[in-house]
Amino acid sequence: MAKRNLSRRFLPPDPRVAEPYRLTPQLALRVGILGMLALAIFATLFLRLWSLQVLNGAQLLRAAQNNQRRDIRVQAPRGPILDRNGDVLVTNVPGRAVQIWSSDLPKRRGVRLREIRALARVLGLSANQIGAAIRRHRHDPLTPIRIKDSATRAQVFYLEERAEDFHGVQIVPAYLRYYPHRELAAHVLGYVSEISKEQVAALSGQGYRGGDTIGQTGVESQYDRYLRGTAGLSQLRVDSLGRPISLVVPRVPAHPGNAVRLTIDIKLQKAAEDALRYGIDRARNSGCYGCWNSNGGAIVALDPHDGAIRALASYPTYPPSLYVGRVRQRALDAAGLTTRTAAAMNYPALDRGINAAYPPGSTFKPVTAIAAMQEHILQPFEPLACTGSYEKNGTTFKNWDPNVNEQMTLTTALARSCDTYFYQVGYRFYGMPSNRGPRLQAWASRFGFGQKTGIDLGSERSGLLPTPDWRKKTYTKKTDPTQWRIDSLWKPGDSIQLAIGQKDLLVTPMQMARFYAVVANGGKLVTPHILLDVEQPSSKHSPGRAVPTSPPPAPEPTNVDAQALAVVREGLFQATHATLGTSTSIFGSFPVSISGKTGTAEKKIDPGDGIFRTFNQSWWCGYGPSDSPDLVVCALIENGGHGGDAAAPAALKVFEAFFRKQATQTGPIHSD
Amino acid sequence: MVDYVSNSRAAARARRREAAEVASFVRRLDWILLGSVAALVGYGLWAIAGITHHDVPGNQGYYLTRQSVYVVIGVLGLLIATLIDPDLYRTRWRVIFGGTSFLIAIVLLAGPIRGSKRWLDLGFFRFQPSEFGKVLFVLALAGFLAERSRRLHEVRTTLTAIGLASIPIFLVFLQPDFGSALVYCAAVGAVLFVAGTPWTHIAALAAGAVALTVLVLGALPAAGVPILKDYQQKRLTSFLNPDQDPGGTTYNITQSKNAIGAGQLRGRGVDNATQTTLNFLPEHHTDFVFASLAEERGFVGASLLLMLYLLVVWRGLRIVTLARDPFSAIVAGGLVFALLFQIFVNVGMTMGIAPITGIPLPFVSVGGSSMIANLIAIGILLSIHVRARARR
Repeated sequence: MAKRNLSRRFLPPDPRVAEPYRLTPQLALRVGILGMLALAIFATLFLRLWSLQVLNGAQLLRAAQNNQRRDIRVQAPRGPILDRNGDVLVTNVPGRAVQIWSSDLPKRRGVRLREIRALARVLGLSANQIGAAIRRHRHDPLTPIRIKDSATRAQVFYLEERAEDFHGVQIVPAYLRYYPHRELAAHVLGYVSEISKEQVAALSGQGYRGGDTIGQTGVESQYDRYLRGTAGLSQLRVDSLGRPISLVVPRVPAHPGNAVRLTIDIKLQKAAEDALRYGIDRARNSGCYGCWNSNGGAIVALDPHDGAIRALASYPTYPPSLYVGRVRQRALDAAGLTTRTAAAMNYPALDRGINAAYPPGSTFKPVTAIAAMQEHILQPFEPLACTGSYEKNGTTFKNWDPNVNEQMTLTTALARSCDTYFYQVGYRFYGMPSNRGPRLQAWASRFGFGQKTGIDLGSERSGLLPTPDWRKKTYTKKTDPTQWRIDSLWKPGDSIQLAIGQKDLLVTPMQMARFYAVVANGGKLVTPHILLDVEQPSSKHSPGRAVPTSPPPAPEPTNVDAQALAVVREGLFQATHATLGTSTSIFGSFPVSISGKTGTAEKKIDPGDGIFRTFNQSWWCGYGPSDSPDLVVCALIENGGHGGDAAAPAALKVFEAFFRKQATQTGPIHSD
Repeated sequence: MVDYVSNSRAAARARRREAAEVASFVRRLDWILLGSVAALVGYGLWAIAGITHHDVPGNQGYYLTRQSVYVVIGVLGLLIATLIDPDLYRTRWRVIFGGTSFLIAIVLLAGPIRGSKRWLDLGFFRFQPSEFGKVLFVLALAGFLAERSRRLHEVRTTLTAIGLASIPIFLVFLQPDFGSALVYCAAVGAVLFVAGTPWTHIAALAAGAVALTVLVLGALPAAGVPILKDYQQKRLTSFLNPDQDPGGTTYNITQSKNAIGAGQLRGRGVDNATQTTLNFLPEHHTDFVFASLAEERGFVGASLLLMLYLLVVWRGLRIVTLARDPFSAIVAGGLVFALLFQIFVNVGMTMGIAPITGIPLPFVSVGGSSMIANLIAIGILLSIHVRARARR
């Protein structure tokens, strides 16, 4: 009964256990150990807390504050490009760019996709494009991805108002390239676009970062270091999801890029480009064989004293504004700027002045003449027969004018561009002892042929100066299994044709202009260049000033004999003034005396139907005024027929603009 | 009539006795323990109010309300546990053990929540058996050891105890709830230790534990037999070299240390605690609550919390020495040590001196199961104290 009651009792008076519990010393020791352990643990925690909060507190506080700081690179406005008179060729217009911080996009796939789709709808892009851009930058989460360069005001307002729905989307000021003269000097100026991953990898040492704008071709690329300026830095506070929680605070201001002044002159450049189109039109209207294909060309205008480029035109061309803002593939296709359509549009992106090589034809004859006189295999006043054709070793080489039959001196031969005269000179070169190497090529090389001119404009071709060694290397059993034994030999025909700038010889219009500058300036080989100077724009803190740049290489002496040069100059003068000079009818009446040489170079071309045919490339190279030249002009019209048909009239237009004088054409053209 | 008189006298006597007993009961409560736990819970609620102030937009008291409800339930549990004689647990330890293992096991069978199977969804409440298991587990093991108190020196007793313990530990580990499994292990050690297991056994067990740790963390993964999941392994070892990967595994620990350090002496207050308010510190109302508290309330506030814990642990250890029977002593030892272990691992984790495991901070972290289970544990301690052998 009592036991039953116990269970009902609230408190047992005595423990109902088999063995009463005693706090033995052993147990007390154990509890004591637990107590010590507890004390040790709490001591550790206290010390650690003290160390973190009091000893290292300031440092960790900074770390906590940095957590929410996001650095934003502020793009500097790119410097303008000016012509030699300070007139603007390229400048900027301000815009608003939309960019994405990929690390701040919603983490959940569905939410992220919905945001990207909404963004695509607002900006008029396709969600796939945005996705592709994000994927392209997925290895670089700390750089914003620019998805639109020029958002409209409405788009900007919409995005800013609904910033809550567009995590990771940011609107930043942007500078867009603006081309007031549209296509003018497109090849010279080049274009800019966002830096590629490969470029970042190669150029990160020079301060380039992903998302930067960089010049891709032309002056924009060549002098990017002056134009791009220094990016600034702004800071923004964000939460752990990257949502901005403060205004953007500028820290380091961006320094705008410097102005780059070019040696070209807008007016002359425009004249040259118009002249080029004029020349092509003339060729097309001339009805000459193949001239219906005339659709390209180049004009180079050079200062013979120092190699400053006054105009550099290439046709066909394109508006560089196609690369501004979001680049539309379809627009590039339509302009022939992609590999898919380039061939059909005759390669508009190609700068034919420096990056295309053609056979020079008769414009090369002065080189032959100087070399022959220098090598003493030709006397200037030695009469040679100029006939309708020239036969050597069973091969007949024709003159362009089959009806001629008279003795000519060198000046006359140059003036009337007698091929058979120069065939004989070429054969004399062939007969020279081979132990000193090919002499004509040695002189041509001294005048810069077969090598790059060193122009400060990106990629250029070195052309081809054929030599016996070149033949041996090029035509081997492997490359030419059936004919290599014959083709690898340098034959008389090679020397004969080289003398009139035909067969394997290839030159760029710039190389040609450079050689005529040698003739014009009395024997100095100049390095063509486009940069005049670089100017730092004036700002609140500093006045504008010129930035030191490395000067263009000084003209190199070619050690050409003054007598020989004088003969050639006389020949070139007669070519534009003598009765039967090849471009007398073009330049004879021009108030300023111009000297120059026509050229008609045969080139095998497939006009698009799969059959190669030989078309004439129309050349004219020369300078004026004849006695103290200030300008060298070299014009090339692809498939333009004879030099006097298309190239010479085009060149005249450039001289007209340069000397501000008009010419009246007289008489029929009698030109090769 | 006589009967009635005698009955009424007896009734009056009984009433007086009952009143005296109630008074004695109340007097015999450990008021310091009760007071410090009350302070701890109150302080925890205040801290949670600040920490979660910005968490749910438009409802600043969201977590505070829920936590308060848990506290109310927990206090009820505490009262009930205080009233129940611990002897009840001793005689029924087999039922308790079976029930605990069963509860943990059915969690494994139920569907996973947030990638692991820790919770039982009861509709109104997500019940986390492993939290209650901490208490029940200690009771069951203590019952077993009390029953064998005369044969503690036998190796078989120790091995059986380990064998019994390993069942719920293994089940919890499978959930996977590595942190709770660690707490269970610590409790086993404390229970054996307080029960009076010979030193040689304890030394052997300690050696075994060290060997197991080396095996699980080092040797076996190297040999191509991973026991832990990759993220578990990384969490356990990353605190040793926190700078190796600040964005990945050690992100939490870096942010947590930044938060604690940023609190400095006085704390940054509720609105300036950017690590917490801007969510740089994940899980700042549960596992990393201490870091948030330290950020908002500074060294002063964090030390106050640690002091309260120290007070609770001291009173708990004192109860071990006062317990009326071995069972009560073992239970008290196991509960107190489990509490101490949780405090150390959780607070140590936020400060980068303990591995990262998902152990909540007792009485502070938002979470019903943990709060209620811990309050019940305090109730059991109080119950032991009330029925203590000798006092004062």
